[in-house]
Amino acid sequence: MTVDNGIQTVQEEKAEEQTDMADATKIVYLTTQNCKFSNTDGNMLAVQVEEQEHPVVYVHCSFPHTNRRNYLSIRTIDNKEIGIIKSLDDFPPDIIALLEKHLELRYFAPEISKVIGIKEEYGYSFWDTETTAGSCRFTVHSGRTNVRLVTEKKLLITDVDGNRFLIQDIEQLSDKEYRMVEMCM
Amino acid sequence: MPQIPTGIESALQENGCLQENVLIVLPCDRNVEGGYAESYLLLDREHLFIATSDQVVRHKTFKGFMNPFGRKKSLKLPPGATNSKWTFEKVSIEMIESISIVNLVASGLVVLKSTEERAIAAFTNGHMAQAVKLTELFNKLKKNEDIDPLEFREDQEHSSCPKCGMIYPEEGRKICPKCMKKHAVFARLLSYAGKYKLSITFIILFMFLNSATGLVIPYLQGTVLFDQALGEKGNFAGKIGLVILLIVIFRTLSMVFGVIFGVINAKMAANVAFDLKSSVFEAMQRLSLSFFQKKQTGQLMTRVNNDSAELQYFFVDGIPYFIVNFMNIIGITGILLYLDWKLTLICYLPLPFVLLLMRVSFPKLWRLSWRKHRGVSRMNAVISDSVTGTRVVKAFGKEKLEIKRFDKANRSFSGAEQSFNKTGSTIFPILTILTQIGGIIIWAFGGWKVMQGDFTFGKIMTFINYIYLLYGPVQFMNNIVNWWSYCMSAAQRIFEIQDAVPEVAEKPGAIHLEKVKGEIKVNHITFGYEPNKSILKGVTMTAKPGQMIGVVGHSGAGKSTLVNLISRLYDVNAGEIQIDGVGVKELTTRTLRDNIGIVSQEVYVFMGTIAENIAYANPECTVDDIVQAAKIANAHDFIEKLPDGYDTIVGTGGHNLSGGEKQRISIARAVLHNPRILILDEATASLDTETELQIQEALETLIRGRTTIAIAHRLSTLRNADYLIVMDAGKVVESGTHDELMAKDGMYKDLVRKHDEALQLKGVG
Repeated sequence: MTVDNGIQTVQEEKAEEQTDMADATKIVYLTTQNCKFSNTDGNMLAVQVEEQEHPVVYVHCSFPHTNRRNYLSIRTIDNKEIGIIKSLDDFPPDIIALLEKHLELRYFAPEISKVIGIKEEYGYSFWDTETTAGSCRFTVHSGRTNVRLVTEKKLLITDVDGNRFLIQDIEQLSDKEYRMVEMCM
Repeated sequence: MPQIPTGIESALQENGCLQENVLIVLPCDRNVEGGYAESYLLLDREHLFIATSDQVVRHKTFKGFMNPFGRKKSLKLPPGATNSKWTFEKVSIEMIESISIVNLVASGLVVLKSTEERAIAAFTNGHMAQAVKLTELFNKLKKNEDIDPLEFREDQEHSSCPKCGMIYPEEGRKICPKCMKKHAVFARLLSYAGKYKLSITFIILFMFLNSATGLVIPYLQGTVLFDQALGEKGNFAGKIGLVILLIVIFRTLSMVFGVIFGVINAKMAANVAFDLKSSVFEAMQRLSLSFFQKKQTGQLMTRVNNDSAELQYFFVDGIPYFIVNFMNIIGITGILLYLDWKLTLICYLPLPFVLLLMRVSFPKLWRLSWRKHRGVSRMNAVISDSVTGTRVVKAFGKEKLEIKRFDKANRSFSGAEQSFNKTGSTIFPILTILTQIGGIIIWAFGGWKVMQGDFTFGKIMTFINYIYLLYGPVQFMNNIVNWWSYCMSAAQRIFEIQDAVPEVAEKPGAIHLEKVKGEIKVNHITFGYEPNKSILKGVTMTAKPGQMIGVVGHSGAGKSTLVNLISRLYDVNAGEIQIDGVGVKELTTRTLRDNIGIVSQEVYVFMGTIAENIAYANPECTVDDIVQAAKIANAHDFIEKLPDGYDTIVGTGGHNLSGGEKQRISIARAVLHNPRILILDEATASLDTETELQIQEALETLIRGRTTIAIAHRLSTLRNADYLIVMDAGKVVESGTHDELMAKDGMYKDLVRKHDEALQLKGVG
């Protein structure tokens, strides 16, 4: 394999690589000063960062379970990061509402407010619940990590299709509910 | 023809959407605001229809539950939805540039692009496969390609149980756990025991004898001993010695029969478990790689081990004890009723309370034991975690943190154990007392009767002895239903592996080629392990016999997937791969395995000697062949240095080989296999530069005269390639010889530049 290994070229390239590296490790923080979010007519999220327009972007949470309002990564469909929002609360209310709407779109998981019944049979547990999105009945595989605590109190339940449901605080469950849920953990 | 939702057909018709023209229907059950919704996307040859209801769905039923809107195959709207206001939108396909699915967390978003991108609907994860079908169909329509309506047909009739309407909990596993024919599973299970008819006959015979002799004893100990022998009445008047002797004889007989049945049973059960395990293991070997990747390995091990252990218990402890206990209950009740039916009824009085207490307290006990079990697992996880990671713990000086972590797990386990033991030691004495109440009632009532002269003392003793014999079997029966359904589920899972059809199966009448020339043609292939996540998109490449093709690209570009498809470990979703002009799907598996060899980064040495490992592909080969192969693979010298030479035991528990040594053994394996087509999948990626050079030499000898497809991160290993293809994100972005690609100033040149820099940084270049 013949490659031009001239010292000068290499040095130049090295210098270039270093700036590349510096760029790669540098996080772009999005603030009210340097970016402008908007909702497109097609209900998509758009952002203008300084001079550059990004017509369609998506909001990813860096810590979806432990911290929903901080470190939000704004990314393109090709998973390229446009920048990070350090704290949602630094933005004006209308932008907060917009970003929250898009967060909800991405991380939709009904919160279980009441466990009506859990029946364990044939290697599955059949859940009957009341959630923030209405009553939901779904099936979970037993014996895997489909019902697990993602924080001290927050329980994430993943059904056979991968749909997600949350119990925000297992300590808030009634004794009866807790007894049923516990058997699936 | 796909079913369009009933209730809105006429409204759809008014909007120009005719049932007979609809090619596909995608239910979109989520709204963008964070709730469930009722909307549909329908596609015919010219238009996309978007039907949206304004009603908020407040009841959502996912897989595993009864389809709340009936058992029919048709899509029915939820009650009320027909009254809600529907909006219809009709978009001409010509106006649409693309339809794409954006993967959200646990759901998908349908994005339509015309002048600008627009989110038109969202759906939950269960509809992902259907959504992908819709986009594929759209793309075909857009390109005016032929459409096979069957290919896009909805599989609705297969998505829920025809009998009870339950939506199958697992896609692709058409088993309704509720309607699963347990007796059929049981019959099939029994067929495993069919071979052992003689043993079973003996088991039942001896069990019967065991019960029968056992049941005589209380009678001897009661009525015969007290009323006849001691009471100086009847056949045994005064013959205490004889009665004692009879008791001893019957006890001994009962024990002997018990031992015999136990021995025969244990032997048969082990045989049945052996048969089950080996048939499952055999079935597993037959299945395609994708099966193993879908089910985690651990889960498979569990299936083979736990489920067959479960079934072994079923044979050893289950059926025989069920029969014994059943016979005992019937026998005892019969005898008691015969002796005195009124007293029998009184004796059975506490029984419902005992059962009730068991019903109430056992689930609690079970829950506590589960908590205890979880505590143990957590504690073990912490221990194994910090032992495995000792180096990291020490390096960061985090011993205290680990102690704290362990302390927490230990404390929670200890708490769980305490509450389990506390509850256990409360419930069991209560149960014993309740059980004994039966005896006390007999003493009280019987005693009174004895004093009145209606009863004899012996009769009371007989009753009491029988009653105590009764509680064991009753307790056993109490749990039998749960246990039965548990066992049948285990059996079902095992049978499922046996019945699974390999996804990559040899076609009937497949072509066998003894020796291929080694020409490979990959034609526009598309492949993904999951819907909407294509790994390869329209990849095309050709290799002439004897050529070496290098495949380069970033990790995750789809290089390994490409070679897995060439050796048909998976089947492509679209396009075709040909070897010597014949599609790989038309070839026999043997043709492929005999003619394609793989040396990959993950080297696996099996338990056994080095010689056996080298001869894995061809165990019949001569010692000469093995040594020759090792020599070619540059392995001979290091093997000779080992104290046990070629006889060194390697693999789990054996001699530890270094990465380079293992790799050379795997190359020797490939040399001996002597395939026409050789695939080198990052063969040297995990090795240090010096070892790599040694291996490189071995590989060069190996490559000679074979068609080789080599994947490499390190471009230096590909310097001899006749042709290179550069892959990025599942597509071939560049191809040509090294010089051609260097002249292009594209991705390849960039990769070479970075590679050389990396070598320079290491001080190798």
